[in-house]
Amino acid sequence: MERRSFLKLTGTSAAAIVIAPSLITQRLYADDGALYQTYEKIQLKDADGNPLKASTLTVEENYVFNFPHVATPSIMVDLGEATNKDVKLKADDGTEYIFKGGVGKKGSIVAYSAICPHQLTHPTPDDTFFQYLERKGKTLAMPDAKEAGVFLCSSHLSAFDPKDGGKRLSGPATEGLAQIVLEIDENDEIWAVGVLGPDRFHDYMDAFKPEFKKYYGNKRKAKKLVKTEAKVVTLKNFSKDIIQY
Amino acid sequence: MSMERRDLFKLAGVAAAAAVIPSVVVTSATAAEVANKASGKTIVIVGGGFGGLTMAKELKKKDKSIDVTLIEKKDIFMACPFSNTYLGGLKDVSLETLTHDYYAPASKHGYNFVQAEVTAIDRKAKSVTTTSGNFAYDILVLSPGIAYDYEGQFPEWDANKIASVAQACPAALMPGSEHLALKRQMVDMDDGDIVIVPPAAGKYRCPPAPYERAAMMAHYLKTEEIKGKVVVLDTRGGKFAKGAAFKESWADLYDGLIDYKGFTKVIDVDTAKKEITYLEFPDAATLEEGDADDAKKQTAKYEVCNLIPVNKCSPVTKMADIETNGAGYALMDGYSFRSKSDKNVYVVGDAVAHKIPPSGQTAIWGAKRAAGQIVAQLSGKADDPKAGLPAAAANVCYSMVGGAPEEAIMVTHEFSADASGVLKGKGHVPKPKDGNGKFRSKGTGKATREWFAGVKRELFM
Repeated sequence: MERRSFLKLTGTSAAAIVIAPSLITQRLYADDGALYQTYEKIQLKDADGNPLKASTLTVEENYVFNFPHVATPSIMVDLGEATNKDVKLKADDGTEYIFKGGVGKKGSIVAYSAICPHQLTHPTPDDTFFQYLERKGKTLAMPDAKEAGVFLCSSHLSAFDPKDGGKRLSGPATEGLAQIVLEIDENDEIWAVGVLGPDRFHDYMDAFKPEFKKYYGNKRKAKKLVKTEAKVVTLKNFSKDIIQY
Repeated sequence: MSMERRDLFKLAGVAAAAAVIPSVVVTSATAAEVANKASGKTIVIVGGGFGGLTMAKELKKKDKSIDVTLIEKKDIFMACPFSNTYLGGLKDVSLETLTHDYYAPASKHGYNFVQAEVTAIDRKAKSVTTTSGNFAYDILVLSPGIAYDYEGQFPEWDANKIASVAQACPAALMPGSEHLALKRQMVDMDDGDIVIVPPAAGKYRCPPAPYERAAMMAHYLKTEEIKGKVVVLDTRGGKFAKGAAFKESWADLYDGLIDYKGFTKVIDVDTAKKEITYLEFPDAATLEEGDADDAKKQTAKYEVCNLIPVNKCSPVTKMADIETNGAGYALMDGYSFRSKSDKNVYVVGDAVAHKIPPSGQTAIWGAKRAAGQIVAQLSGKADDPKAGLPAAAANVCYSMVGGAPEEAIMVTHEFSADASGVLKGKGHVPKPKDGNGKFRSKGTGKATREWFAGVKRELFM
């Protein structure tokens, strides 16, 4: 109930933004629009304020930007390999949605909300337990796996598959990650346009009031939607301490 | 009480209508009236710890039309996990860190919270009697936790003696006054020793807890510059949860401050003189035989004594008259969380006889599985109790061993369907990659805090 009104609210502000219909029809993420939320289209910029180019991303590097809210971190990764396409996923409440695939020339660039759906662990400027772990990495979440290449929360050891739309692979999480839907334009520039899948933004806003005060001033400011552009930094420049098990 | 079918439907309608009202925190009196008749989808949960809170939330998340009532004897939630950092006096850990009200999650998820003590369970009538009235159920969930078995461990102690030792040497595995009393004693203590007696035998809540406590209390002695040591009177000869990791940390961080005695049998406590008397055996074999002639009788002075008796299951499983093992833990129907005796009774948390460690995270894990099994049962669907098994890292448990800087050790458990017919956990104690070859690290110290913060979000958000 609270969640729905929250979505309704954000929906209102998002709807106020004019979105070219083509952008939506080309990427109909869930056939009935369920669990897909558009937001103001945000351009991803580098530290100097220049548009970030998709072809310049370092493969398997964690790139952090806040979207769709000022205080909700997302992580973008160029996996270096194409993702799977049209992956059917299911939220805990039974709603199905479809991951269309990565973007970029190889279809290898993805972004996910960096808020663990299990207990909302996420990167902060002080430290992070949440990250994309490169394929040659090792994690206790998947002790028998030959390679990693997963989004990982090291607090309670949940792992998610970025090639399958953030689907839960192991650990105590029950749902997958919310996908940040990206688009790359003809100039190789990257835009964030929406969120697909069950997000936890509402609970997140309730849970971290002291943290918001520390980093953003207050909850009201933290909750604001990002406008026009978002600055992208690597995770090692975003969090002082990256903790990974 | 027999009920007409028509009435049942009528009631189901009422209950479903009630379920859409967002905030259903009700006073115990009205709750008793509302829940007096089962709706067909009425679930009563006994116990508001990690298992019960998770169960209540998960059931409402999975099906809003289920009528859920959570009965808990305490008015305030208090966590046992992470409480050793409170005893150790770590920065910014207060009672508020460990406690929470019950109203917020009940209101948010739309279940009834009733503060009452269960006094009887009638499985034939499907009714739970409490100090705040009767509650009818279609499915009963028991998450009652543990009790202490002073009587079994010290048969020569009478009730008065047990009561005086329980209060003078608080066990502090069941949060509440026990923790506050132990903390008060530490704050008030003079120079001298702290004695910790881990449960002498059998399954007990949070296996690493007494050893983490030893580290945290040693940290306290050190920071408060108290002249004394932590004496651990154990029976396990060093073979306890995360043993190698604890011993490494104790030696590195608290050289000489933790005096671990591995083959002891506590026989008496004089709470007036603050003396504990125990037999010290030379090895595991003689301890097991228990012949006092093989042992040295020792009497030690203490300033603070944390005597944790042997655990048993809460008496609630006996009240329900379901099949249990000797210590009262509920026997389960195969790999499920359903009672072996009654398909309408589920048991979660420390009260189950599955061979998985009794921890907060395990209780959450089990309650989620059990909630899925209950919802399947209500809708007449089959549920595979082996689904998702083996589950890697189903349990992750951190123990804080250092206070300045904060450092912790960890264990992960894989849970699987054991050939013996029950769920079984297999532990793995890794050396974290930021530990420079040690079992402990600062990263795991941070992870301990984040683990607990996350668990609280899980239970109360």
